Amino acid sequence: MPYDCELEDELKALDGVDYVGTEHHYCIESSKNFTYKGSKMDNFIDIAYTISDEEMYLKFYDEENNTVDGVEKGCFYSNAAFIQDIDVSKGDIFELSFDDNKLSLKYMGVIKCPTIAHEATASPYLLFDAEDIKFIGEHKKNDIFDDKDVFVNAADTEKIDKLVEKYENAYVMPRDEIKEYFLFDMVAAYIMMMISAVLMVTVFVVLRFTIMFTISEEYREIGVMKAVGVDNGSIRSLYIAKYLVISIVGALIGYAASLPLGSMMLDSVSQNMVLECGSNALIGLLSSAAVVALIMLFCYTCTRRVNKLSPIDAVRNGETGERFKRKSLLRLGSSRLPSNVFMSINDFVSAPKQFGIITVIFTLCLLMMTLMSNLALTLKSENMAWLFGAAECDAHIYDTTYFVDAFVDYDNYKDILAKTDIMLEDIGIEGESGMTMGFRYEVDHGDKTANEFCYVSKGLKNDLVTADEGTMPQKRDEVAMTGYALDDLDAEIGDRVSITIGDKTDEYIITGKYSSFLNGGHGIFMHPDVDLVENNNFQSMGVNIKFDGDPDDETKDEYIEKIKKAIDSEKVCTTSELVKTATQMSDTLNSVKQMMMMITVIVTLMIVILMERSFISKEKGEIALMKAVGIPNSSIIAQHTLRFVISAVLALIISTAVLMPASNAVMNFVSSMIGDVTGIKCNYDPLEVFFICPMILVGVTVIGSWLTALYTKTIKASDTASIE
Amino acid sequence: MNTVLQAKGLCKTYVVNKRQNNVLKNIDLTVSEGDMVAVMGPSGSGKSTLLYCVSGMDRVTAGEVIFNGKETASLNDKELARVRLDEMGFIFQQMYMMKNLSVLDNIIFPAVKSKNNKETRAQTEERGRALMKRLGIEDVGSNDINEVSGGQLQRACICRSMINSPKIIFADEPTGALNRSSSDEVMNELLKLNNDGTTVMCVTHDPKVAAKCSRVLYLVDGSIVGEKVLGHFDSEEKSLRDRERELNGWLMEQGW
Ligand SMILES: Nc1ncnc2c1ncn2[C@@H]1O[C@H](COP(=O)(O)OP(=O)(O)OP(=O)(O)O)[C@@H](O)[C@H]1O
Ligand SMILES: [Mg+2]
Repeated sequence: MPYDCELEDELKALDGVDYVGTEHHYCIESSKNFTYKGSKMDNFIDIAYTISDEEMYLKFYDEENNTVDGVEKGCFYSNAAFIQDIDVSKGDIFELSFDDNKLSLKYMGVIKCPTIAHEATASPYLLFDAEDIKFIGEHKKNDIFDDKDVFVNAADTEKIDKLVEKYENAYVMPRDEIKEYFLFDMVAAYIMMMISAVLMVTVFVVLRFTIMFTISEEYREIGVMKAVGVDNGSIRSLYIAKYLVISIVGALIGYAASLPLGSMMLDSVSQNMVLECGSNALIGLLSSAAVVALIMLFCYTCTRRVNKLSPIDAVRNGETGERFKRKSLLRLGSSRLPSNVFMSINDFVSAPKQFGIITVIFTLCLLMMTLMSNLALTLKSENMAWLFGAAECDAHIYDTTYFVDAFVDYDNYKDILAKTDIMLEDIGIEGESGMTMGFRYEVDHGDKTANEFCYVSKGLKNDLVTADEGTMPQKRDEVAMTGYALDDLDAEIGDRVSITIGDKTDEYIITGKYSSFLNGGHGIFMHPDVDLVENNNFQSMGVNIKFDGDPDDETKDEYIEKIKKAIDSEKVCTTSELVKTATQMSDTLNSVKQMMMMITVIVTLMIVILMERSFISKEKGEIALMKAVGIPNSSIIAQHTLRFVISAVLALIISTAVLMPASNAVMNFVSSMIGDVTGIKCNYDPLEVFFICPMILVGVTVIGSWLTALYTKTIKASDTASIE
Repeated sequence: MNTVLQAKGLCKTYVVNKRQNNVLKNIDLTVSEGDMVAVMGPSGSGKSTLLYCVSGMDRVTAGEVIFNGKETASLNDKELARVRLDEMGFIFQQMYMMKNLSVLDNIIFPAVKSKNNKETRAQTEERGRALMKRLGIEDVGSNDINEVSGGQLQRACICRSMINSPKIIFADEPTGALNRSSSDEVMNELLKLNNDGTTVMCVTHDPKVAAKCSRVLYLVDGSIVGEKVLGHFDSEEKSLRDRERELNGWLMEQGW
């Protein structure tokens, strides 16, 4: 154990502390200690930690969100980080081995708890029976990472802060900050909310237009009712009663559909979180009822129009009542466009509100798809590497066992880099290696003190960490800090801070501010010449390797395979893979993107079909007239289809124009929640965001509107007579 | 004289709620080039239905319709539409026009759509203007359709029906929604057209309108029960009043 029980005793002695509980963690150095289906695991980067079921001071939940009270001997639970990238089912057997000492363990599923759903670099946490923990404690070799969480219930955190300051390796985290652990998952949840919001808006827009159309269609009836003396209230309640029936039926269907769909959506985001959803039937019914009520309210405002109609209006002008609103804006005679194109553009500009809103919805749908695509791509792109303190280079060795020695004694990093260079030479690869490491030190500025991670890059120059403001350290006594670290110390660029490394305290001048995800965005970057001194709080993304002579991707992969063999580890990867593993968001976003594509198809179809259907009934007279004077069906259908295609194309243009600024803004917003990050430029897949996604939209629009427009065939030329 | 339109044994049956309604029963009809035929009869006797059937706007249940030498039943919808577009003109009781287009654009719309029309847009527009001038509505070309009076609009509809120089113009109560003076103006335009050689078939309730036609058919309950030949209005020395008196007498006999 890194520290004894003094801390707990002192904590207990403090005023206002009524509860102290210690959760001890043994470290299991590497995923290679685990064997699954006959082969050693290599799926997670970090050290795995154990938790004993006798020390569960927080609530743990299983996949079904039931509380987990204990674990049977020979079984274990894990958090999502442990099983990332592998396909595991409950009841599978894992083997945990320390040299010849083996333990066979049955997998019981995922547990969720705020403290083990860590942010960017989530560590695996495993919950064992106390007896199995004993076995692990006896047989594991290395104990430098063993640590403990001490949970304290206290009225006054300041006293605790003071007390803990004395302990070099301990730091305090108030309950609020634990929330931040969920941020990556929260982001996914936020995105879901955004999508839902877009859907809601869409639904209300469709509803509004449907109501408007019905009212204008029954314009005459309303006029006649008014003429014979029916009052406004009665007419409106007639309509509202109609929508009440429709919306109750709709809400019931929606409620039934929401049960599987809601849990599907939540499953994709709540691997680590305990989120309640439609599992409660009453809540579901209540919210359905709320939706009905909302719709009724909405209908009430929409039917306001009934009040404005006078009987004379209705009788004099059968169609829309907008008697004095100019409709014909374009001139067919002076236009060179083919007549179908002219007619559809003319329709568009004659009803700018309707088609404008359709365009807005199309734009939103398209943007959601392309945004997800961009974010997913960016979150596994090399551009992000610097935010995790990794240099953008060709290969990363992130196997903890490979560089564990630097944790024990800082100077060992030289040996690690040397052995890497020799290894490279042995297998005939020309290249250089480097490492970025950080330890937590006490930093003082004025009367402020903070324990911050201080990083240096050795070997390869980590040029990629660039300053958002000022410059990165150019001299030995210069440092750059993240904005959060500056806030912690109440410092700004130009100030001097003193950092205590080992037992030496030196003054450094702050020359710049930089962005980072590491450690929740709290960090200090030092000049490469600075030498650190080891302590128990270590952070590194491993050894970075840059191959000479810019080899192509294929050669790089080949080299990486060679390195894997040479160091007998699977944990060697490219920068983009490293970022992807570190964020763990890319895949989620990808599935969100796919879902968004589905939703876009559905929403677009819904909009197109409903709108076109109401347009047809509204324009029945004109359609019949066109047929009577001898315009062929194909021409009418083309005109109707084209109008929607114009909307889709406009949406395409708008979303193309705003996509990149919007992606950057969203990405930076999301990043600023996770770390202290600004100035990320998003990557994009031009084929996907500028071709495939737009084509989905346009394709669905064409098919949907064309199929619906076929309905105009049922309107006969002789209907001209029967239309008011 | 050439026959433009011929109907033989024409029947039309609507089925509503499983009950057959024989609206047209075995109608034989021949319209020659240059004729101006009025169709009269009590309400619900099938006048509009007859017009729709012979103009190909609706399919017949039995019998045949020969327009310009072609059996219309053998044409598909697309070919029928083309015949209507290029060779027929239509005027309705309600002054239907497309509200998103200006009056002039409405008039030239069928010409723009016609595949036979090889003119440029400007030429077509010029022709549209000329027609409007002829009917005395040249000032309202760029107006919206709800910015003109009923009489002007109905004259614009006549312009539209003429734009493709049709062989025949079908009119269903073209003056039904107009006051007497507008009605006279519209009828005079139709007469002028007829004198220029366009065949006109016109459903009307108004004996004053019918009196200007060369033939009057009387329809009762789906059958043509009588025909009165008045001869061309211009060519006869009889005054309009005489024609009206003669027609009214005949209509009385028919049970008008
Ligand atoms: N689409 C239809 N479906 C069923 N029955 C119809 C249809 N259209 C017309 N009818 C029936 O056919 C009969 C003749 O209708 P039509 O419109 O031809 O009469 P009309 O002579 O033009 O009458 P009016 O002088 O009032 O215009 C009517 O009894 C009517 O009910
Ligand atoms: Mg009629």
